[in-house]
Amino acid sequence: MDPDNLSQLIQRAQAGEADAFSELLEAHYELIYRFAFRWCAKREAAEDITQQCCIKLAGAIKQFQHRSKFSTWLYRLVINTAHDWQRHEGRHHQTDTSCDQPVAATAQDESAIYLQQVLKQLDVMGEGLRETALLVLAEGFNHREAAEILGVKESTISWRLHHMRKQLASTDGAHTS
Amino acid sequence: MTDIDKLLQQQNIPPADPAAKQAAMRAALAEFQQEHEATQNKKQNNRSSGQGFWQRLRLIKDATLRSMIMTSFTKRTLFAGFAAASVTVLGFFIALPMLLSVSPPSIDNQIKISEINMSSAPSTTVYQPMAEDIMVEEVVITGYAKPEMQASLPAHRTASKLSLPASHGDVMHMNASPIMTDVAVQPAPQNRDKFSEQQENPVKRTADEPVSTFSIDVDTASYSFVRSQLNNGILPPKNAVRVEEMLNYFDYNYPVPQNQEQPFLPSVAITDSPWAEGKKLLHIGIKGYDVSAQQKPKTNLVFLLDVSGSMNSPNKLPLVKQSMDMLLGSLKPDDTVAIVVYAGAAGTVLEPTAVKDKQKILTAMRNLEAGGSTAGAEGIKQAYQLAEANFDQDAVNRIILATDGDFNVGINDTEQLKGYIERKREQGIFLSVLGFGRGNYNDELMQTLAQNGNGVAAYIDTLSEAQKVLVQEANAALFPIAKDVKIQLELNPAKVAEYRLIGYETRLLNREDFNNDKVDAGDIGAGHSVTALYELTLTGSDAALIDASRYTSNTLEETNNSSEYGFLKLRYKLPKESESKLLQRAITTADSQVDDRLQNDVAFATAVAGFAQHLKGSVYLKNFSYDDIIAMAQASKGDDLYGYRTEFIQLVRKAKIAKEL
Repeated sequence: MDPDNLSQLIQRAQAGEADAFSELLEAHYELIYRFAFRWCAKREAAEDITQQCCIKLAGAIKQFQHRSKFSTWLYRLVINTAHDWQRHEGRHHQTDTSCDQPVAATAQDESAIYLQQVLKQLDVMGEGLRETALLVLAEGFNHREAAEILGVKESTISWRLHHMRKQLASTDGAHTS
Repeated sequence: MTDIDKLLQQQNIPPADPAAKQAAMRAALAEFQQEHEATQNKKQNNRSSGQGFWQRLRLIKDATLRSMIMTSFTKRTLFAGFAAASVTVLGFFIALPMLLSVSPPSIDNQIKISEINMSSAPSTTVYQPMAEDIMVEEVVITGYAKPEMQASLPAHRTASKLSLPASHGDVMHMNASPIMTDVAVQPAPQNRDKFSEQQENPVKRTADEPVSTFSIDVDTASYSFVRSQLNNGILPPKNAVRVEEMLNYFDYNYPVPQNQEQPFLPSVAITDSPWAEGKKLLHIGIKGYDVSAQQKPKTNLVFLLDVSGSMNSPNKLPLVKQSMDMLLGSLKPDDTVAIVVYAGAAGTVLEPTAVKDKQKILTAMRNLEAGGSTAGAEGIKQAYQLAEANFDQDAVNRIILATDGDFNVGINDTEQLKGYIERKREQGIFLSVLGFGRGNYNDELMQTLAQNGNGVAAYIDTLSEAQKVLVQEANAALFPIAKDVKIQLELNPAKVAEYRLIGYETRLLNREDFNNDKVDAGDIGAGHSVTALYELTLTGSDAALIDASRYTSNTLEETNNSSEYGFLKLRYKLPKESESKLLQRAITTADSQVDDRLQNDVAFATAVAGFAQHLKGSVYLKNFSYDDIIAMAQASKGDDLYGYRTEFIQLVRKAKIAKEL
């Protein structure tokens, strides 16, 4: 969708036009879902987060001020939703490991589990590392874009990535030794 | 682990499920429209701000549905077993981190268990065989292992065993190994609902046991629970289905007495049983006297709200708040309301406040937030203290407990709590229980509390259910017109060979309890209707199930009541009295002529009873399909002002396609 069309669509949605909002959702559902999936690597959970995010969007769309790119703003919303979801899961489902350790059914899932373990480790290492890794390494944003989405300085992103690699390397070493 | 880049880039993301997408978009659009309307008419009454009610409600439904389908089990008791199994699985994950190159043990060749479908274990995976490995342990644990299988188990697997009651054993008869592995690591907290085990009432031979005694029950919680399950596309657990609560969910137009002195009239009808040829259904209906607006006594309510962490779900606390809001609408200005909350600690949020100060009450309510563990017992005590402080002899003093039944702190002793509630009941403070949420719902405890507190236990799953219980039936829920209502039916062995009371399994009383005023029984509120059904086999019918006794004489002396099927007795106490009164009437062959005005209600109640028995898997139901139920209900739904009966028909349709859990 070209930027002008998108901008118009958003404005119509902001004015309360349900069709426009529906179209907007349709156009961005995949983006939200993909990122949500990356976050938790479980389809059901990803769909939950996605749905939660879509609903959030219904209320939040009015707050979008056209200053940044819509997708930047949307990523922030997805990340917030994912955080909420994770917090909720953590609080109420202490024994629920649905997000952290899915059962491997295929070789692909196996690497997914491994990936989740790594991401989990990132959570332990420091705040913001998970989303930084996902945005830069998986979604391919550069440091400046990621910084904009997360609302932090570009240097913070760079530092986080550096910190992350260093830590991962050291735990890696600890494992192999 | 520096290959995180590679892992992230190569991550395989399955395509989005169109159904999930559709559901999400629908929910979002609903929220969008609501949001927009809210801004349009910028009224103070902004019940739905930012993260509206829809958001929470929609979400839980889907999440629950998914995990329910994924876990697919019949009995919640299984979960204990699986929870244990899941612990073991986790243990394995922790103990063997990243042993990615372990070769799968070839269980397939060693063990042949027909109940567990092992053949699907693909050798390409690593973790799954391990999970199955553990499932095999579970077989041993539960004591259902087949002898030959046990023999072939490698020794190290039988070495460390958990001890679990054998009753969990039927787990293993499920033919679903892929699901099992899923479940094992997914304890699905949604399924911690508790229901007490109950057996269907058996057929009894009139000659052996001519008298049947039970307490009435006006609870409706079972129906709401069943509905919420069916709406999610799954059949409810059998123990969650109580025939009498499903019957009594509906309002029936039985004749109503004219004054409060005799608070209700029993009406009787006899029809042919639609599900068992040659048998009859005896239909006993009672409708309570309804108080008019002027007659309504003053009401002092104490809301006791559970705000523990478990209430944080969308279909719990937010729904509680909205329900209470609705209830306020049906109170009079002079009535008072107080709020006590309990979580980690119990506290009074609102001292008794007159309903005319509505804004104050609403504000207090809206500021509630869920968090912490549950100190239910402490909360109950505090609520009673408030109610006592504000006690008014002429008013209805009632505590309304809203919870998901999670009394996990400080109340291990249900008996003690029961006793406490009972003593307070004697003092004139009643307790009603509103159940919320699913996943943690403790049905048995709710029932116990409400029964001991002379109150109603209702399960609120949706806003419209709140509307029904708290607004349309507010009178019934708030104003008792009779308490300790017991029914005793004596059947005439000359006319009736066998009988079976349908439902009321949890309400049976001993024969001698009937005349004993000390024995507690159910209460009936203003305008409540109560229905009970007996299935009768007439003497001389081929449909009898029990053979005649060889040794006791079968010749019955003719009595002068030979035209009577039986004799119905009802005992009740007026709300403020402690001595019971008796109502009685004979049930005669004339009752086979069903009054025109009653015909629809009788038929509809029969359809509901049929449905409930169907869901319970009753052994007495023959040739009565869901379609028969639908046809019967359809033909008899009558005016159906609020659409409850139509909803029932929809539920039967849903049950037709619902999956066995």
